[in-house]
Amino acid sequence: MSSLVLLALLAAPPGADEILKRAQVAVLGETATYTLRMTVSRPGKSERVVEMKGWKKGDDLGLVRYTSPPKERGTAYLRNGGSTWLYLPAAEKVVRVGAKQNFGGGDFSNGDVFRLSLTKDYAATLAGEETVDGQACWKLELKARDRSVAYDRVVYWVRTDGTFFPVRADYYTLSGRRLKWLTSAEVGRIGGRQRPTLLTMESALETGARTLLKFLTIDDGVPLDDRLFTPSALEKGE
Amino acid sequence: MTPLLAIAFRNLLRAKRRTLLSGGPMVLGSGALVLGSGLSDGIARQLTDSLVAVQTGHLQVVARPLDFQPQNSPFDAYGLDRIPGATELARRIEREGKEHGVVRAVPFLYGRGTAIAGNRTSLASVIGIDPAREPELQRAQVVQEGTFLPPGDDTAVYIAAPMARKLRLSVGDSVSFVVQTPQGAVNSLDAIVCGVFRKGAPWHDNGFYVSLTAAQTLFDWPGDGTNVKVTLADGSASRARRLRPLLERIAAEGPAPDPKTTLRVETFEEAGRFSFSIIQANRTALAILSSFLFAAAAVGIVNALLMSVHERTREIGTIRALGMRQRSVVRLFVLEGFALGIVSAVVGVALGGAGVVYLGWRGIPMNTITLAWMAGGDHLYPILRATNVLSAGGAIALLSTLAALYPAHVASRLEPREALHHV
Repeated sequence: MSSLVLLALLAAPPGADEILKRAQVAVLGETATYTLRMTVSRPGKSERVVEMKGWKKGDDLGLVRYTSPPKERGTAYLRNGGSTWLYLPAAEKVVRVGAKQNFGGGDFSNGDVFRLSLTKDYAATLAGEETVDGQACWKLELKARDRSVAYDRVVYWVRTDGTFFPVRADYYTLSGRRLKWLTSAEVGRIGGRQRPTLLTMESALETGARTLLKFLTIDDGVPLDDRLFTPSALEKGE
Repeated sequence: MTPLLAIAFRNLLRAKRRTLLSGGPMVLGSGALVLGSGLSDGIARQLTDSLVAVQTGHLQVVARPLDFQPQNSPFDAYGLDRIPGATELARRIEREGKEHGVVRAVPFLYGRGTAIAGNRTSLASVIGIDPAREPELQRAQVVQEGTFLPPGDDTAVYIAAPMARKLRLSVGDSVSFVVQTPQGAVNSLDAIVCGVFRKGAPWHDNGFYVSLTAAQTLFDWPGDGTNVKVTLADGSASRARRLRPLLERIAAEGPAPDPKTTLRVETFEEAGRFSFSIIQANRTALAILSSFLFAAAAVGIVNALLMSVHERTREIGTIRALGMRQRSVVRLFVLEGFALGIVSAVVGVALGGAGVVYLGWRGIPMNTITLAWMAGGDHLYPILRATNVLSAGGAIALLSTLAALYPAHVASRLEPREALHHV
């Protein structure tokens, strides 16, 4: 009898919070440096491609510097706690920007890139299992803990195969309208382990608008000094 | 008419060419003054009417940050912070202010976001209004297509013609708004275009009018607003200033705003500093232009009358020899200046006035962005005021009279004996 209980416990899926926590670090570790290429697509317009280098420490510290194209090189975004800053090298100015403003003219918001701490901001419940893009997934219903969180509701699909790779996330507004969705269809070996390497955000309102984030390199676990994530460091450059 | 004045008029007719040459600049000057005043008043009226009807009313209650610094922008008039219970505050102002000349007090909610239609997006000013109680706004934002916002319809949106073009929207099309609520969440509203309004002041091009309830839901501020617009029976600035303490008392008795903000009662002049700075700049420019016109006309008159004295030296000698006193010679030449001024002023203001009436009827296209910002619209309609006609005409007549003093003095100093020998 006791072995049956033990088997049942072993077969039971992890709790919603545990799934969420594991999925959060599936792409980038707690601390990481990375390079990525962002491609912004708008119907009828040529694609905008930007390459950047980023640093991340926990949920609240993040820094991204553009490395190309040359005319945008040096542009940088910094997230420290509840504030986000933008550095424009041409103007030699650091300006504070909203976390919900779009990041680099694409479909990701600054908050999406630097801080969307799902575990802190949302109460998660397991809503069942579904197959998404051919992958068996847990479906998590995330409800914002308060009305200051960007997206009132997020539906999150995470692979059940033990990798905890996020497959898709749908973001909803307060009024219940789906605003955009994120997919991570491509998985590759990068930075010493398998992980999703291509994230695509598509707008549910603006027809044909989408933004791709392709990770080129990732280095997890690199010790980073907190002083890197300050507005004064932002101006000094790398 | 005194005999001297009759002689003065006759002298003007005797030397038609000289009269024409000296009167011409004054005709042009007085005409230009009337036209300039008409343009300046037209701009002032357009900016003030638009400000009062669309944004501030004659007085407004608005929540301002404690460290609020106006940016000299037309958007300064809008509040960005919450007036708690704005709807109830408006009701109280209307009820208690009725006997003091308050015609209407209406709340509205102003916020910023993004408008999305198909694959087109634009920055948007989303303004939640109570359409049944905004007759002035309805008149100012003239329907070009469809209808004004229907009362009670929380899915309708009324948009500006330039925005309709930009987003390729027509009546019946749907448009979505995405905003960040003041608390931080992202929210959206799907609406159907009920009407398109004609382009007016360029800063209203991004305006999307929705029902107050829809805006309150969108920005997650139920029952609240950013401004309470108060319309008075007597819309003068002095009346607005006198009524301010009453509104301040009523506002202070309502729910307290966020501690980082304070409720302020502003007259339309205070709230619309941007518009009044344009009006003031125009008036200053007109004053400078007028002074140059006056100076040029004065020089012309002095010159023409000195020539007249020179040409009529023998004549002056004769009338002096016949016993005319020096004082009478002065009077004669001053009256000639006065007569020239009167005739020039009448012709000038008639031409200038006709120009103002014509342009006021046709409108002057303000084709560039700068001009449209300066005039508060894509057309400028000058206005003719009696005070402008009288002051321009009076000023030219006075100038002409004063400018004649020196030549008159020169003429009176001529010795009859020498003057009679003048060739």
